[in-house]
Amino acid sequence: MNNRLKVLRAERDWSQAHLAELLGVSRQTVNALETGRYDPSLPLAFKIARIFEQPIESIFSED
Amino acid sequence: MSSVEDPKMSWPVRIGGLLFLGLAGAGVGYLVGGRMEVEDLRWDDALGLVIAAMLLATGAIMAGMAAVRSTTVPPGCGWLQAVVMLIAGVLMIAPIWGVHLASPDLVFVGLVVLSVVQSVANLMLWRRADEMLRRVMVETSALAFWASQMALFLYAAAERLGLTGGVSAWGMMGVLMTIYLLASTVASMRRGLH
Repeated sequence: MNNRLKVLRAERDWSQAHLAELLGVSRQTVNALETGRYDPSLPLAFKIARIFEQPIESIFSED
Repeated sequence: MSSVEDPKMSWPVRIGGLLFLGLAGAGVGYLVGGRMEVEDLRWDDALGLVIAAMLLATGAIMAGMAAVRSTTVPPGCGWLQAVVMLIAGVLMIAPIWGVHLASPDLVFVGLVVLSVVQSVANLMLWRRADEMLRRVMVETSALAFWASQMALFLYAAAERLGLTGGVSAWGMMGVLMTIYLLASTVASMRRGLH
C-alpha cells in the first residue's frame, strides 16, 4: 500500500516524533509507515485521516 | 514544531555509548572468565554464554537508547524492552555461572523469581506497545515457533533413527534461544527496527 504520509507531514513542518505523539505510536512506527514497511490497522488509518483532516483514500492508495 | 528532521544522536554521545559498551563488555568478560574454566566449557554452555552476552549487550544498548532518546509514546516501552533483555541475559548465564556465587537450590529459586518478573515485564510491554511493536512480537513468536518445531522434529527423527543423540535440555534451550533471537532480528528488520 502507498501513502502520502511523509508529504503531508512535511507540509505541516512536523517531525516524525511530533506526528508519533499525535497518533499515540512510536517514532519508529511513523517511520515504518512512511517507508512502506508497515501498513496501519484500520483504527490507526482513521486516526491519521482525522489528524490530517483528509479522507483515508486521499492518503492511502493500493499499489 | 520547527523541523521535519528528527534529531540524530550526536557523535560524542555515540562515542560515549561505544566506550561504555566496551568497558561493560570487558568487565563482564573479566568477571566471567576469571571465575570459569573457559577451556573446559561444553558446547551447550558456550552457546548459552554467547547468547547471554548478546542479550546483556542488547539490553545495555536499549537502556542507553531509552536514556538518551526518551520518548513519551509508547510510555516506558524502551525501558521495559531493556529490562526484559537484561533479565533474559541473567537467566541464560545464571545456570552456568550462578553456582560460583550460591548453592544450586538458591540459584534455582532466583531463576524462578526472575522468570516471573520477566513474564510480568513482558506482559506490561505487550500492553504498552503500539500496534507495530505488537505485530513484530507476534511475527517473532510465529517465526520462532515454526523454526523451533522444525528443528525439534528433525532432531527427534534423527534420534529415533539412531543417527544422533545426547543433546541435553540445556543445549536445546540454547538452540531455541538462538532461533528466537534470529526470528526477532528478522521480524524487526522487516519493519526497519534496527
